[in-house]
Amino acid sequence: MSAEVARPHSREFVQALAAELSKLWSLPAVWLTLGGSLILNLVLAAAFVSAGLQDLTGTPNALDIGLASISYIQAGYIVLGIVASCSEYTGGQIRTTLTAMPRRSLQLIAAHLALMIVVVPAALITATSGVLLAAIALGDASAPVELGSTVGILAGVTGYLGLTTLISASFGVLLRRTLPAAIVVLGYYFIAGPLLREQTAHAKYLPDTAGLAMWFPQPGDASALSPVHGATVLVAWTLGAFVVALAVYRKRDT
Amino acid sequence: MRAITAELSKLFSLLSVWVALAIGMIVPTAIAALNSVSTRKEIALGDHTAVGIDMGYQELAFGVIGAIIIGVVAISHEYFAESGESGGGRQITTSLIAIPSRLRFLFAKATAVAMVSAVLASAAAIATMAAIRIVLGEHAPEIGSEDVPRLAGIVCYWVLTALLAFGITVLTRHGIVPLAILIVNTSVVTVTYLLTRLTSLAYYFPDMAGIRMFIRNLEDSTVEIAPLVGGLVMTAWVAALLIIAAIVFCRRDA
Repeated sequence: MSAEVARPHSREFVQALAAELSKLWSLPAVWLTLGGSLILNLVLAAAFVSAGLQDLTGTPNALDIGLASISYIQAGYIVLGIVASCSEYTGGQIRTTLTAMPRRSLQLIAAHLALMIVVVPAALITATSGVLLAAIALGDASAPVELGSTVGILAGVTGYLGLTTLISASFGVLLRRTLPAAIVVLGYYFIAGPLLREQTAHAKYLPDTAGLAMWFPQPGDASALSPVHGATVLVAWTLGAFVVALAVYRKRDT
Repeated sequence: MRAITAELSKLFSLLSVWVALAIGMIVPTAIAALNSVSTRKEIALGDHTAVGIDMGYQELAFGVIGAIIIGVVAISHEYFAESGESGGGRQITTSLIAIPSRLRFLFAKATAVAMVSAVLASAAAIATMAAIRIVLGEHAPEIGSEDVPRLAGIVCYWVLTALLAFGITVLTRHGIVPLAILIVNTSVVTVTYLLTRLTSLAYYFPDMAGIRMFIRNLEDSTVEIAPLVGGLVMTAWVAALLIIAAIVFCRRDA
């Protein structure tokens, strides 16, 4: 008679994380969105550089120009977060997933962490490549850029894209279907968010505007959030979205 | 005719279409109301030039997201595969059994999309102009007979954008890519607008040409396009795309 040896939680979590990573790895959509975002980002950055060279009103700054495309490219990361969550629900993979990992909070945390592990390097590469392209193309025409602030802002962009992906993934879990989730999140980030930003001062606490403070500081505006403050607000939104998604996910059937 | 009725009935059975109708109504009306409130404050401060020539029309240009969703979802739902245990079927196989002529099928679907977006555009235009009138009262811009072509321009713009989204989605057979691209390009500063900073040819992109039908005061525009020409340019884009979509759709396996 052999005693059942319980699997320790830590080991269970590591196995869940490995499983989630392997699932992400095997999704062609992940590679297509990440690769597509990288390429589109370079194309847009090249367009911004060439517009910046034509603009004679100020000295172009390689950092600003190289990152200008990020506010468009974030669409790729939003789609990635949604696709990663909703792919469980096209077909019946979610049932296999939950059979293998019955503890839902653990599974969802592992899935989000795995997404982070994939997205953070990709976001860093995307952001850096845009800035490098701008710096090389502008050459001496660029205003001098400090290394310290560059590293800080690149970290801000990476964090912003990562957290935005997680918020999108939470929405994917909530809505379970790719297109409705994409409509909601993209509609917010590209239509409602920018319009609210112009309308009301409180909009600075919304996830998109607070996140913007992480990498697009506005020194002229005294009321704007500082990068650290913006990051805190965005983390709070991400956690909030995750908690809601988790609560719903635990309550419902699949 | 029966094919069109069938397509209309399919459209209205989709949750996403109802969401699209709600978004198409609410987004322009709500933004117009918010903008009118701030305009009223400016008027109260004595600034009587606050009412712009494009008031209401600008907001309706954002509401086109509703038409985009209708165009995308109308065709992408046909390719949505059911889960394995319900047979893994797709609507498109049933649709093509019911209407074996692919051209007729595509034509009926495009007609249904155009009809729904036209109705949505008219309703949204009325609601938006009414919202401005209610908030601004006597200060609201007069709507006279010279506004009829502009309002017709709104309807044409929404219908053509819906057909554009429809044509792209016929080619991709999945909604997420066209949806992401088109929503990103409806944002406050559109990608095509940025491209006009690079080359004035970008003014002939379908959306940039199309908004000439109703926007009179395009910010620092270097190329003037008459409303009718703008509409024709957009129609030409959409017609070309639909022809390509029809050829591809008729030649490939469903």
